[in-house]
Amino acid sequence: MTTKTADAVSLTSATKRFGPVRAVDGLTLAIPRGQTVALLGPNGAGKSTTIALLLGLLPPDSGRAALFGLDPEEAVRQGLVGAMPQEGGLIPRVTVRELLTFVSGTYAAPLPLDRVLTLARIGDLRDRRVDRLSGGQAQRVRFAMAVCGDPDLIVLDEPTAALDVEARREFWDGMRGLASQGKTILFSTHYLDEADEHADRVVVLGHGRVIADGTSAEIKRAAALTTVSVTADGESAWLSTLPGVRHMEIRGGRVHLRSGDSDATVMALARAGAVRELEVVPADLEDAFVALTAKENA
Amino acid sequence: MWGYVRLELTRSVRDGGYVIFGIVMPVVMYLVFTNLGLAPGDRHDAAIYTMVSMAAYGALGGAFNNGSGIAEDRAAGWLRQLRLTPLTSAQVVAGKVVTGAVAVVPSIAAVLLAGVLVNHVTLPPQRWLAIVALLWAGTVPFSLLGLGNGYRLSGQSAAMANIATMLTLSILGGLWVPVENFPSWLRAIAEWTPSNSYAGLSWRIAFGDVPTLRQVVLLSAWLLVFGVYAVYGYRRAGRRA
Repeated sequence: MTTKTADAVSLTSATKRFGPVRAVDGLTLAIPRGQTVALLGPNGAGKSTTIALLLGLLPPDSGRAALFGLDPEEAVRQGLVGAMPQEGGLIPRVTVRELLTFVSGTYAAPLPLDRVLTLARIGDLRDRRVDRLSGGQAQRVRFAMAVCGDPDLIVLDEPTAALDVEARREFWDGMRGLASQGKTILFSTHYLDEADEHADRVVVLGHGRVIADGTSAEIKRAAALTTVSVTADGESAWLSTLPGVRHMEIRGGRVHLRSGDSDATVMALARAGAVRELEVVPADLEDAFVALTAKENA
Repeated sequence: MWGYVRLELTRSVRDGGYVIFGIVMPVVMYLVFTNLGLAPGDRHDAAIYTMVSMAAYGALGGAFNNGSGIAEDRAAGWLRQLRLTPLTSAQVVAGKVVTGAVAVVPSIAAVLLAGVLVNHVTLPPQRWLAIVALLWAGTVPFSLLGLGNGYRLSGQSAAMANIATMLTLSILGGLWVPVENFPSWLRAIAEWTPSNSYAGLSWRIAFGDVPTLRQVVLLSAWLLVFGVYAVYGYRRAGRRA
């Protein structure tokens, strides 16, 4: 396998245990160059450990990790990778400019500093001391450290965790710019809407395994993500046979239908005249996750 | 790697602990000891002897402070961030050692300059050269001990351990009060310390003698011990980073 054609990220049957806990459990994942991939899952699903394995920060107990066909440490050494861990990485007593100048200097062909400052929207912070930044500002500086070397693969562990709504939107605008330059981007999140909007492909992790892998539309279908609720009149077992319905639950006179195709389900309800107090609620990640793991265990 | 050294030096200069323990305190103590007649012997000899003591004391401060920084860096996730840059771990460790070696220079220079400018110390040029070289190169064992503590212990405890070790070695090694004034049992212990051998090399040179074999062998042995300790600490830290 040469580095010209190899996948940007490749994990093969990777396993990592911490004591009795299998944080990553026989995980296989290949990401071709140029894809933007979201690693989605609740806390404890193994997202950060997966990222640590593929960056070479942790050795797998078994299995293999490779970046661009190289050992992860070698890929990092060649400047092919930029990464932003979930937290930390900022040191006291340096300015933003000094810090970024240093990190850029470790790469062979970094971006010009001004370009990095613009990309991370920290131009006005350049002479500020790193230890005197707010949480959101610090997060942007950490992002700048990940991209300043102009790496081909950018790995971000929960990049928007400390950001407010506006900052989050601006962050993703910047990311889209990078993706359009053909960078491979892997980010982890527990926000379904972020994965939905910003990733070409969503990989759902649970208990250290891949439990779903596809476009966000495919994931939603697989997870039967939308709940359609109506108030029941009399016998309602027939509702479970409507198009799209995967699961039915009756609570306090309300029928809750989990649907993989809510449009079809609602249309069918309308045709049957059973739309009393109709409510359509897209499920959150927790529901999707429960649905996906339940399916996997079945 | 030089970018890393420059960054680390920038941080050191802005570090109050380094400036106070490594530069200001040794100079102040030197001037106090020599000008209040607290140092032994005649005035010029005392100025020379104490100059070497306090330069050694300051260099120890700089060397140990560098090690404390490592623990702080690990707690801040900086060591992990460095592992995500193209720098190799050998470059990172070497960079830190070089930083330590450079960081002790102002400590030594400040006290020697105070000796020349304030206390009018005069020595033949070759003795100056030998003293500067020995004071500088002799800090390596202490840098390694400080780095070992920094790798092995967490932020606060590493800083405490390093300050405690630095003060213990300074006092026990006779940098504050000459070991000749110690009770004999304490003096027997003091003469095995690395700090006593370290300053001893330069004390001998300053007064026109050749360092003793015992001093050289003892400091080299400590260099070996602390080197092993630093490598052990780094390996342990590497597993957890």
